[in-house]
Amino acid sequence: MRPARIVAAAAVACGVGLAGSACASPDAAIDRTEGTGELRGLAIEQPFEAPEFALTDSRGRRFDFRPETAGSLTLLFFGYTNCPDICPVQMAVLGAALDDLSYPERREIEVVFVTTDPARDTPDRLRSWLDLFDASFVGLYGEMETVNEIQAGFRLPPARIEGTSPPPGAGEPYLVGHATPVVAVTGDGVARALYPSGVRQTDWRHDLPLLLRLNRSVSKPGGEAGPSGG
Amino acid sequence: MQWWCAAQGIPWDWSWRPYPGVWLFVACLCLAYRAFTRGAVPSRLEVVRFAGGVLILWIALDWPVGALGSGYLASVHMVQFLLIALLAPPLLIAGLPRAALERVRGGRALSLPGFLARPLIALLFFNAIVIATHWPEVVDGLMASQAGSLALDMAWLGGGLIFWWPVVSPVPHRPRFPLGVRICYLIASTVLMTLPYVFLTFAELPFYATYELAPPVGTLSAGEDQRLAGLIMRIGGGTILWSAAGIIFWFWYRSENDATR
Repeated sequence: MRPARIVAAAAVACGVGLAGSACASPDAAIDRTEGTGELRGLAIEQPFEAPEFALTDSRGRRFDFRPETAGSLTLLFFGYTNCPDICPVQMAVLGAALDDLSYPERREIEVVFVTTDPARDTPDRLRSWLDLFDASFVGLYGEMETVNEIQAGFRLPPARIEGTSPPPGAGEPYLVGHATPVVAVTGDGVARALYPSGVRQTDWRHDLPLLLRLNRSVSKPGGEAGPSGG
Repeated sequence: MQWWCAAQGIPWDWSWRPYPGVWLFVACLCLAYRAFTRGAVPSRLEVVRFAGGVLILWIALDWPVGALGSGYLASVHMVQFLLIALLAPPLLIAGLPRAALERVRGGRALSLPGFLARPLIALLFFNAIVIATHWPEVVDGLMASQAGSLALDMAWLGGGLIFWWPVVSPVPHRPRFPLGVRICYLIASTVLMTLPYVFLTFAELPFYATYELAPPVGTLSAGEDQRLAGLIMRIGGGTILWSAAGIIFWFWYRSENDATR
């Protein structure tokens, strides 16, 4: 799938209202023609430092994002387990694509899922849902405000409960509007590319080796590309 | 509201949805049958056969099979294919009374279908349709719209009618298409259908964006769903075609026996 088609797919996702405002903000930072160039994902025109943050993982342990992911290619996604469409598809496509990698390559990649629905996504639910796709996926939760601040740090719009005012009561179903892209962060803590909904396994299969190569070049001491690099 | 099942990208739920285009299509088929058989009253068995064909089409096109197959699961899409192209057409054709067909035989309106229904051309035409309508770009392009989805369903039905015509037509279309050759014709088709089966079952990646990126239904991954679709094509399609070949063989055996008495 070419970047133009991915952009079109993202636009469709926005159009049907499932992604809410998720697609507007990241677009501003995306260079569709330059940057890494070869990527089928959307290269971030000016790569930026990922924010420092700490949340709790699904096993109840503190997870400091930057130190925990240092050296790894991290694929970060904000979503929720009751999501009826985009989140399970993104996770399933990513999980299947990672299965194709060799063991050493797979070990270089960390997938981090941050819930945008902490009220319903208990640690157990988060763990069992992520296990459907890959038992190694890390699930994080925290206060909604904190999560939204983190998203702002990644230049993503905040998540919000859709169409309910006042907030829904206990047990009442609701949807959460949230950003749809997977953010690719290299081991030096720099966000490099976005993968909006519509990305297919064949796109990941194409891009993951390129991202891993980039990750290796920037993660080793004295690596070439900094935040402003490609 | 949709009038024909197509991929919508909305989450699946088991609440019923109406598809008026499907009902209209089914009603038109029944009215056309009534008009066609005026003056050539069909037997009860012919009516039952035609009604069976219409019922199978209705099941394949309407909720839930039509909705699931058009936008959610490749495996159900394949079930639709079997129902529309391989199961319904022989019943529809076998439901046409011979007298009504004799009446229109040789008419100018039937010259193109008559040409396409020549066994070798029918075999190639049908299998070309099978391959074309399972091509990823074609499926993804057509399933996204109701008109495209309708076109795909009609291609299957039209191809199926042409494919089955030489085999089950009550009016012998080709007098020199003996029962033994009909068996070979059916078996040749199972061989030709191996191509899409192999691609679907042994592909490393999902072929169809429509189903890979569809909101999930159940726990099947896109790859598993695609492999299941390939197996359904192989086992389901093979069962239908081999069963038909078996029935023809039985008729052939009986006619040979009768001739030697």
